[in-house]
Amino acid sequence: MKLGRLLTILISLAALSSSISALAQEVYRARLSPMPTTPQTVTEITGEGEVILSLSGNTLSVEGSFSGMSSSATGAHLHNGPPAQPGPVAHTLEIDLSPAGEISASLELTDEQVEALRNNELYVQVHSENNPPGELRGWIFLRSHFDNL
Amino acid sequence: MLLDSFPTIKKVLPGLLILGGLVACDGGSGSTSSTEIPVATAPDAAPAPESSPGAITFATQAESGAALYESNCAVCHGANLQGSTLGPLLSGFSFVQRWGTQTPALLLGNIQANMPPGGSGDLTDSDYIDIVAHILNVNGVDGIVTGLTEDSDFEIADNISAVVAQRQRDEPPPPEGLTVAGNTEDFVPFIPLTAEMLRNPSPNDWPMHRRNFYAHSYSPLDQINKDNVSNLTLEWVWNMHEGDSEPAPLVYNGIVYLINPGNVVQALDGKTGELIWEHWSGPANRQDMRNIAMYEDKIIQATTDARLVALDARTGEQAWETVIADNSKGFSNSSGPIVADGKVIVGLAGCARYIPEDCYISAYNADDGELLWQFETIAEMGEPGGDTWGGLDNIFRAGGETWITGSYDPDLERTYWGTAQQKPWVPVSRHMTIDDVGLYTNSTVAVDVNNGELDWFFQHVPAEALDLDEVFERVLINRGDERLVYSIGKYGILWKNDRVTGEFKGFQETVFQNAFTHIDPETGEVTYREDIQNAQLNEWTSACPSSAGGKDWHSMTYHPPSGLIIAPLSQTCLENAAREVALVQGGGGLAASRKFYEMPGTNGNLGKVGAYHADTLEEVWSHQQRASLHTGTISTGGGLVFVGDLDRRFKAFDVDTGDILWETRLGTSVQGHPVSFAIDGKQYIAVTTALGGTSPRTVPGVIATEITYPRWGNAIYVFSLPD
Repeated sequence: MKLGRLLTILISLAALSSSISALAQEVYRARLSPMPTTPQTVTEITGEGEVILSLSGNTLSVEGSFSGMSSSATGAHLHNGPPAQPGPVAHTLEIDLSPAGEISASLELTDEQVEALRNNELYVQVHSENNPPGELRGWIFLRSHFDNL
Repeated sequence: MLLDSFPTIKKVLPGLLILGGLVACDGGSGSTSSTEIPVATAPDAAPAPESSPGAITFATQAESGAALYESNCAVCHGANLQGSTLGPLLSGFSFVQRWGTQTPALLLGNIQANMPPGGSGDLTDSDYIDIVAHILNVNGVDGIVTGLTEDSDFEIADNISAVVAQRQRDEPPPPEGLTVAGNTEDFVPFIPLTAEMLRNPSPNDWPMHRRNFYAHSYSPLDQINKDNVSNLTLEWVWNMHEGDSEPAPLVYNGIVYLINPGNVVQALDGKTGELIWEHWSGPANRQDMRNIAMYEDKIIQATTDARLVALDARTGEQAWETVIADNSKGFSNSSGPIVADGKVIVGLAGCARYIPEDCYISAYNADDGELLWQFETIAEMGEPGGDTWGGLDNIFRAGGETWITGSYDPDLERTYWGTAQQKPWVPVSRHMTIDDVGLYTNSTVAVDVNNGELDWFFQHVPAEALDLDEVFERVLINRGDERLVYSIGKYGILWKNDRVTGEFKGFQETVFQNAFTHIDPETGEVTYREDIQNAQLNEWTSACPSSAGGKDWHSMTYHPPSGLIIAPLSQTCLENAAREVALVQGGGGLAASRKFYEMPGTNGNLGKVGAYHADTLEEVWSHQQRASLHTGTISTGGGLVFVGDLDRRFKAFDVDTGDILWETRLGTSVQGHPVSFAIDGKQYIAVTTALGGTSPRTVPGVIATEITYPRWGNAIYVFSLPD
């Protein structure tokens, strides 16, 4: 087999593999917004952010950013709970320990957690020095869910 | 300890109440204002009783309470207890009238059960007592020295020196009665508005709050249409009195009748915006009234202190006045009447107290204000439905307000109203369970206009548990042979019922809700989530929508040509925790702590305009946006839907597609109920800007904090096409 033909085949296989991978990847998104607040606490629970989550097989790649929190972040988690119903921690995320920064993680989900993800039953929560129970939160939906909103 | 040498408010209060009664009887110009506190002579110098060093005194409590008030209460009730768009005032005559005959212990219990709305946080019992001391101190309680306790049982007014109370008033007495005289006949010949004209309104008019008896909020006018709406321009603008406001203007024969905050009615020339007459019926507060009514030659208003006042539509002069309910017992009105079958029919609010009297819908003779009938919305022991209140004594059965005006079917001779939920908000607070459904709360009630008897009811959400009432407008629609009634409550569920029998005909969830795990498609029966069913005191429950409502007081429209119902909707969620309420006479209240957040999956869009077909209930189109909607929707024969929002935008949508065809930006948040009318062949679109508006404003205020608007600017804007 000539080298040129071999390269053509290899390149074609690589492209096919890449497109299969793209097809297999599910992209999700969470909009981070302040935890429940009141007129008394509205200036103490602040900020916003966005997290993009890509699922390949059972591997969930997490990348996001946040800003405007009232104090430095102390941690972030992936929680398990249906929309607007808080639940337990499922995974710990990496986060910059500052009022604004990045969130990231590469997680291996259980099959149950993958199902929960597809049912919108996972959410991201960011904790801070001023708000240890949580300052930002966002439920995870398919990114395409937000296309027309 | 009392200082008997001081003249006290208690000694003048009966006189004040009598004066209030006189106002209620004749109410004409020249009568003493019900808000006026008589001038008292300076008290003789009296030595303050001494207290032992280090003892807790009223003064030290008040001093401590001032700081606690500042950090926990002032954001809503104002630094000087003057009130704000977030919370009512806690000072002056209205406070004394409401609380003067009550005890500090009852006030303490009320505050402890209900405030702050977000939860008591770190506030201790002692802190609450200090806050009460501060409130009493600011209100002129200067007759006690020893500290308050949770059992302090003296009458508050007994210890308010009139001299101190007088200092609370730093403004001149407000106007009353007719303040601007004029006659609409100087502008147009007057033709009485008959029952037949109300039944079949001229396309030119918007003669009642939702334009027709069926509450369609639809104008057949089509001069302004999809093709030319982009050319709309401002014709005139008129600044209104400041205060909380959600007004629905009336337009009849070229005259705009406008309800302002503080119970002020104005008549304006619809072509030019010129003021013709203005009448202050009092009380001159900053409180909200959503609508007024017109019949024959009278404008009929409900007042915020639960009176009905009829004015001559030509001149604004008072024709008659009557009392709907006793305001000193907490009863009030925030919506006006509908005139059906020649009867003035009006609801009632402020029914959360544990008192013998209940809420009702009542009807009056339009000619003279004579009471014709009352329908009580709370079933008492021994009555049909009286066994649905968990065996509670009648006095502890509260709620069932009718704070949004009903609609009317002249063929069936029935008036259709929504009722609010039981009070307090959570079953455990009201010493009940989720099985105690509490008739006739949170229902549609069909009442015979002839005698006030209940024809049928359908309870949409029994034993309501999250402050999500089903009180809003009932839209009557005929589809083929079916005569139907549609409504959307705070759960955001569009309900369809047969309006002859009340039979359930279908539902549609218009926004995300997770309070119910099941809604029976055959019967409409709802099943609450288990944790909501079993919520205990001080347990936080998270649910959607929030108490700002999937839908709230902003009315929806029915567009007959397309068969679409277009509703202004809202997308927020809440955490709710029940508080303890003692079963004591005079107590009661709402009794829940609440926090608010964005609705998951909405991308932070609080506002949604949703269009649903009346037959299938399927969503045909929707538009979502960050800013919450603050007007009702109206539709027109020109194929348009109009709605306004918190971010000062007033928009026109294509009724068929939801495309935005025109928008403009006004002075402050666009709030109220748009109308359309025509004069001399020219079509106008009018809308108000306003402040206040209760939870639909409070909740976006803590979620969409980046949306700003001036804290004043109540006005009516009138648009038309260029000549």
